[in-house]
Amino acid sequence: MKNVGRFRSLILFILMTFFLVLPPLYAQEEEGKNFKYEITRDIMKSLNESAEQGDIPENLVVALAPLQGKVFINEQAFRQELVGALGRQLSAQYQSRLVDMSKIRVDWFDMTKITIFIILIAFCGMVLFFSWKAKTDPNQFIRRIPGLDAISEAIGRCTEMGKPVLYVPGIDDMNNIQTIASMVILENVARVIGEYESDLIVPIRPPFVVPVAEEMVKKGYLDAGRPDAFKPENVRFISDEQFAYAAGVNGIMLREKPAANLLLGSFFAESLVIAETGVLAGAIQVAGTANEHQLPFFVAACDYTLIGEEIYAASAYLSKDPELVGSLKGSDWAKVVLSIIMLLGVVLETFGVHFLTEWFFIR
Amino acid sequence: MKREIPLAITAIFGIFMVAQLFIPHYLVQDISGRLQDWAVVIVAFAYILGVANIIKINSGVICRRGQDWEYKIVMLIALVIMMLSGILLGKDPDDSLPIFDFMYNSMYVPMQSTMFALLAFFIASAAFRAFRARTTEAILLLVTATIVMIGRVSLGEFIWERLPDITEWIMNYPNNAGKRGIKIGASLGAISIGLKVILGIEKSYLGGD
Amino acid sequence: MLEILITWIAAFFTLCIFSFLYKDNPIYKFAEHVFVGVSFGYGFVLQYYNVFLPNVWNRMPWEDGGSLFTLIPLILGLLMLTRIFPDIGWISRWPLAVMIGSYAGLQIIGNAQGDLIEQVRANFLPLWTDTFSETIGNWFLVFGTITTLVFFFFSKEHKGVIGHTARVGIWVLMISFGASFGYTVMARVSLLIGRLQFLLEDCLHLM
Repeated sequence: MKNVGRFRSLILFILMTFFLVLPPLYAQEEEGKNFKYEITRDIMKSLNESAEQGDIPENLVVALAPLQGKVFINEQAFRQELVGALGRQLSAQYQSRLVDMSKIRVDWFDMTKITIFIILIAFCGMVLFFSWKAKTDPNQFIRRIPGLDAISEAIGRCTEMGKPVLYVPGIDDMNNIQTIASMVILENVARVIGEYESDLIVPIRPPFVVPVAEEMVKKGYLDAGRPDAFKPENVRFISDEQFAYAAGVNGIMLREKPAANLLLGSFFAESLVIAETGVLAGAIQVAGTANEHQLPFFVAACDYTLIGEEIYAASAYLSKDPELVGSLKGSDWAKVVLSIIMLLGVVLETFGVHFLTEWFFIR
Repeated sequence: MKREIPLAITAIFGIFMVAQLFIPHYLVQDISGRLQDWAVVIVAFAYILGVANIIKINSGVICRRGQDWEYKIVMLIALVIMMLSGILLGKDPDDSLPIFDFMYNSMYVPMQSTMFALLAFFIASAAFRAFRARTTEAILLLVTATIVMIGRVSLGEFIWERLPDITEWIMNYPNNAGKRGIKIGASLGAISIGLKVILGIEKSYLGGD
Repeated sequence: MLEILITWIAAFFTLCIFSFLYKDNPIYKFAEHVFVGVSFGYGFVLQYYNVFLPNVWNRMPWEDGGSLFTLIPLILGLLMLTRIFPDIGWISRWPLAVMIGSYAGLQIIGNAQGDLIEQVRANFLPLWTDTFSETIGNWFLVFGTITTLVFFFFSKEHKGVIGHTARVGIWVLMISFGASFGYTVMARVSLLIGRLQFLLEDCLHLM
C-alpha cells in the first residue's frame, strides 16, 4: 500500500509540474510563432501520387523536390520560396493549398482551450483536496441513496431464495466511462455476493469488457475471502449486437430466474426490452444510467433507479472508503461553484453583457 | 510487479490523453492519433477472446447436457457458419457463395428489427404500470407524457389547437432543464471517476493478485 | 427464387420473435440462439475485414506502405490473448491498462468539453425576453437545472432548504422524463407498424 501511495504522490507531482509550469512557459502570444512550414516526405509522396493520377502537372512536383525537408518558421518566407521555385506555374489558390499542407503546429499550449484547462484543474483540485482531507477524518457523511441500499437487500433476497443475481453492465465498451464506473460497482457487488454466498451472472456485449469483468468479479470474491467462489462460466460474452444481446439477457432472466437484476451502465433502446422482461420474470430490479434518454424507461419499469451521477457515487457508497466518499464532497462543491457561475451568467445575459458566455464558448 | 506496472501504464496513458487536448504540437498530436488507431486494433483482438468465451461456456453446457443444451448447439452452428462463410468465402456476394449474405438478410436483419419493434408493446406495459403508481412524481411523469404524446399526433390539434405548441414548449424547456442537470452532474461524476482511475485510487480492474 | 426464400425465412423468424409476447417458448428460444450466433458471427467477420486486414495485416512492415509501428498494437493484442492461459494471464493486464488509461483520459476531456462547459454555457439565458413563453421557459431552464443539481448533492443530508430544493429537483426530473417518454412512444409504434407492414405486404401481399 505504501508503494501505491508513494507512486500516487509521484504522479501528482508530475501532473502539477506539467500543468503549472508548461503553459506559461510555452503559451505563445504571437500567432505566427505557433507554426512551422515543411514539405515533408509524406507530402511529396502524396503530391507524386496526385501527379501520377494527372491531378497536378508533373513538373510542379519536380520543381518542389529541392524544397523537401527545409524548415521555415515564417509563412511569408515559405511563400516566397514557393514562388521562387515554381514561378508562374503557381496560382494563388495552389500556393495557399501548399501552405496549408505544409503547416505544422509547433506550440506547446493551445490558448483557445484555456477555459477547459482552468475548469478541469479547479475541479480535479477540489476532488483531490477533499479526498486527501478525508484520510484524516474517516467519518465522512454520505446521504442515503435508496437504490444503492436496495442492492444489498436484493442480494440478501437472492441468497434466501437460493437464486442467482444478474448484473448487466450496459452495452457500451470501455471507451464509455459509465462502463468503467459499472465495472467498479461490479467489484463491490461481487464482494457483497461473496459474503452472502450466492451466484452472480454477468452477461456482456462488448468483447473487450469480458476480461475486465472477470478481473472485477475475481477481486470482489477475493476481498470477501472466497476466491474459490469465482465461476468463469458466469461471466458470459453474449453477442456484440445490441438486440441479440438483449435477447440473450432475456433468455437468462426467464430460464435461470435470477431473483435480482442489477442494470447499471450505459444503456440505449434495449433498456426497456431488458427491464420489462425482468418485470415479467418477477425479479427485483435496480437500474442506473447516465444516459438521460433511457432514464424514463428505467423509472417506469424498475423498482429503483439510480439517476445520472448517482451511478458514479455508487462505488464510494458501497465501499464506504473515506477517500472515495471525500471525493464526492469535492464534486458537491463544484456544483455549488457552477450554480453560482450559472446565476452570474444569467444576470449578465439579462443585462446584455456577453463576455462570460464568450469565455465559455469553446472553439 | 503484477499490479504496479499496469498502474503506471494507466497513469501514463491517461495523463497523456488529457494533456494532448492542450498541446497542439504535431509530435504529441501524431502520437495521440496513433494511440487511438491502436485502440481499435486491440479491441478487434478482444473479439477472439469473445469467440473463445462463447465456445468454452456453451461447449461446457453441451458436454454436461445442461439446461437448453440443444439450443446451444444451434447457436454454435450459426456462429461457425457465419464466421467461416464470411472469412473463407468472402463477404462480398459477387465473388462468393451467398451464404453470408443470405443469413444476414434472412435472419440477422428481420430478428434485429423485430426485437426493436417489441419495444412498442413494452413501452405500453411500462406506461400501464406507471399509471398505477400514486406518488406525486409518478403523476408528474404521466401527465407530461400524456400531453406530449397527444400533442405530437394530429388528435392533439383536434382536441385543442394550442396543444402542439405546448408540447414543443415542454420539449424545449422543462425537458431540457432535467436533461441539463443530469448531464452536468454526470459529467462531474465521470471526470472524477476518470481522475481516480488514472491516479490509481480506483484500481480494482487490476484483479486480485 | 432466392428472394422469395429470404422473405419467407425472414417472416418465420419475425413470428418466432413476436411469439415471445405470448411467453417464452421453444421457437422463440430457437430464434434467439440463431440470432445470437449469426449476429456475433457477423460482428466478427466485420472486425476481420474492417480492422484486422486493413490496419494490421496490410500494414505489416514488409507490406507496401506498412510500418514498424503496426507491431505495437499487434503485440498488445496478442498479450490480451494470454488470458486464455491461466499461468500467464496476468500479462493481459498491460494492454487492459493501456486501454483503460487512454479511455479514462479521453472521457475526462470529452465530458469536460462536450457536456460540462457546453451545458453550463447553454444556461446563460436572459430572464427577460420579448416573448412571454420564452421568458417563462428560461426561468424554468435556469432554476430547474440548479434544483436538479441540488438533488445530486451527496455530502449533505436532504433536509431543510436543501431538502425542499432537491424535492423540486426530483419534480423537474420527472417532468423531463415524462416528456421524453411521451416523445418516444410514437417512434416505437412506427417501428411496430414497419414490421407488420413487412408481414402483410412483402410476405402475404395483403396490402
